[in-house]
Amino acid sequence: MTNLNTVDAAAVAQDAHLESADAVIAKSTIIFRRFMRNKTAVAGLAIFLALTLFSFVGGFFTPWNKETIDPFNIGMPPSGDHFLGTSQAGIDLYAMTVEGTRISILIGLIVGLVSVLIAAVYGCTMAYFGGKVDKVMLFVLEALIMMPALLVVAVATSGGGDTLKKNLPSWLLLIIVLLVFSWMGTARLIRSLSMSLMQRDFVKAAQYMGVPPRRIVWRHLVPNIGSLLVLDVTRGVTGAILAEVAFSFIGIGIKLPDVSLGVLIGGATSQVQTFPWMFWVPLTVMFLLTGSLAMMNDGLRDAFDPSSSSVGRAKKKSGQRTGK
Amino acid sequence: MLRYLAKRGITYVFMIFLTTSAGYFLAVSSLKPALLEQERIPRPTPEQVANSMRLKGLDPDLSPWERYVEWLTAIVTRWDWGRSPNGAFINAEFGERVWISTRLFLAAIILTLVIGVALGVYSAARQYKFQDRVITSYSYLAYIVPAPIAYFLVQLGAININETVGKRIFFVTGISTPGMAAGWAQFVDMLAHYAVPTIAITLVGWGSYQIAQRQYLLDNVNADFVRTARAKGLTRNQAISRHALRVSFIPVAQSIAFTIPAIFAGGFFAEKIFAWPGVGSWSIDAISLQDVNAATATLAYGSVIFAIGAILADFATTLVDPRVRVQ
Repeated sequence: MTNLNTVDAAAVAQDAHLESADAVIAKSTIIFRRFMRNKTAVAGLAIFLALTLFSFVGGFFTPWNKETIDPFNIGMPPSGDHFLGTSQAGIDLYAMTVEGTRISILIGLIVGLVSVLIAAVYGCTMAYFGGKVDKVMLFVLEALIMMPALLVVAVATSGGGDTLKKNLPSWLLLIIVLLVFSWMGTARLIRSLSMSLMQRDFVKAAQYMGVPPRRIVWRHLVPNIGSLLVLDVTRGVTGAILAEVAFSFIGIGIKLPDVSLGVLIGGATSQVQTFPWMFWVPLTVMFLLTGSLAMMNDGLRDAFDPSSSSVGRAKKKSGQRTGK
Repeated sequence: MLRYLAKRGITYVFMIFLTTSAGYFLAVSSLKPALLEQERIPRPTPEQVANSMRLKGLDPDLSPWERYVEWLTAIVTRWDWGRSPNGAFINAEFGERVWISTRLFLAAIILTLVIGVALGVYSAARQYKFQDRVITSYSYLAYIVPAPIAYFLVQLGAININETVGKRIFFVTGISTPGMAAGWAQFVDMLAHYAVPTIAITLVGWGSYQIAQRQYLLDNVNADFVRTARAKGLTRNQAISRHALRVSFIPVAQSIAFTIPAIFAGGFFAEKIFAWPGVGSWSIDAISLQDVNAATATLAYGSVIFAIGAILADFATTLVDPRVRVQ
């Protein structure tokens, strides 16, 4: 596994070109091919990218924005003027959906990526040092798991007279709180995985060579649990999007005038009968978003799983078994 | 075993103390009940507000530390969790609401666990068959729907059923109809109120257990010890249920510890949407009413639930896993 990473690019290219029986294919190529073979996962990726694109350029296709009130079209169903209809206050739903999708994706990506990063560093540090450090850090971790995140979100986003609240938009505040409470489960998992890695020879060798701990964690532990981390990123993104929707749905979390999918869905629940489009449009977008991530998740797991049964041609070609 | 449990118990009590204290400081420094008092009509003077707050032990002039010491002494010496800004006693209100929450979630938690694990085993034994595909895709679907929205959709469905039948079969909000005579009618009324929330929570909840149980069982079905069991003459089902199932249940049992607080957190949403006045909806209301003591009490309750879940998980692990010996 480690040999493969050190094979220089030219040799890999040459080997792949030769397509001989024992050709070595770079691990990233295999992962990429496996991922591309999974049609569901590719479709998921396409939907996700399309939604992201939509959230950034979608605003240019409509003359309305989320602040303009159209007094002639209040609470109108979808029509030529307003693609997706207007809200009770006469605001174009399409413009709000574009804005809400962007905020939701932003929250998901930031929380998903950063929380996995925190979890990786924290978990590896615990496993590397062990002993007292491990005990203390585990204690902190469990204490954080114990705190009901929802209460803290509610206090942080609605507490009166908070100076923090005035300086930050509510979505940024939500990101911070979600970050603080989202990394513990992954960190625990990473800790147990790294603990078994610590027994491996290459870590011991590095220790005897006098490589500083920080570099061992970063260079030897983190890359070896990489596949798990990639999976946890997509799962974390889904989790953060769902958490945002859930919190905003019951009226804590993101506050108007900031718009997110959760705010749109939550605001429309009381009027499902009268303004059904206000409820179903953001809900569909949310399903597309979380659904596309779930579809990718499955393909990613197959692609990164060393014992995957969906090996196809890539495995046959590489005589040497890649991956562990 | 008992010594081990006692040791874990002490650690958790310490942890609960820490989280509750941290929660108290967070609440006391960001929640200002006096601001809400001033919106009353006729508008009270600041002195009147401060005075009424002081009488309830919520003196806004004291520093957070002084209030913390006062609050903690009351709990330790008298088991008195303080009062709300409107004068209600936390102890009394908590006792009432915790019972409502427990009634709401107990049936749902048990159903979720049993259905999830059973379906996981069923689908693992029929991997990639039609039944497995249907069950597992449903679980993935449940995974991408946020809990409150799923509850809301179930509620909408129940309303639709009521409308099509033209009679009120399910009650979608509340715990019971007031003024119902005791006996059979009351029992039917209770069932009608319980049905929708319980079904909603169960439908959303079992997916993660099903996926986990299926995954772990599949990891073990081809293990050596299962093959040995088959070689000894057990049928495939016997080998799975006696040998593979036990081992594969261990990680699931571990995850229960983390899902009990999750169900509690999901409980906020369920209680809000189905209008059950339990602990979860109380904690949200406490924050919007700037009620420091109530918010802290619900937080402490959450921590206790987590500790119980964690200890139960340890206990379950030792029960099913012969390799684990606790000291």
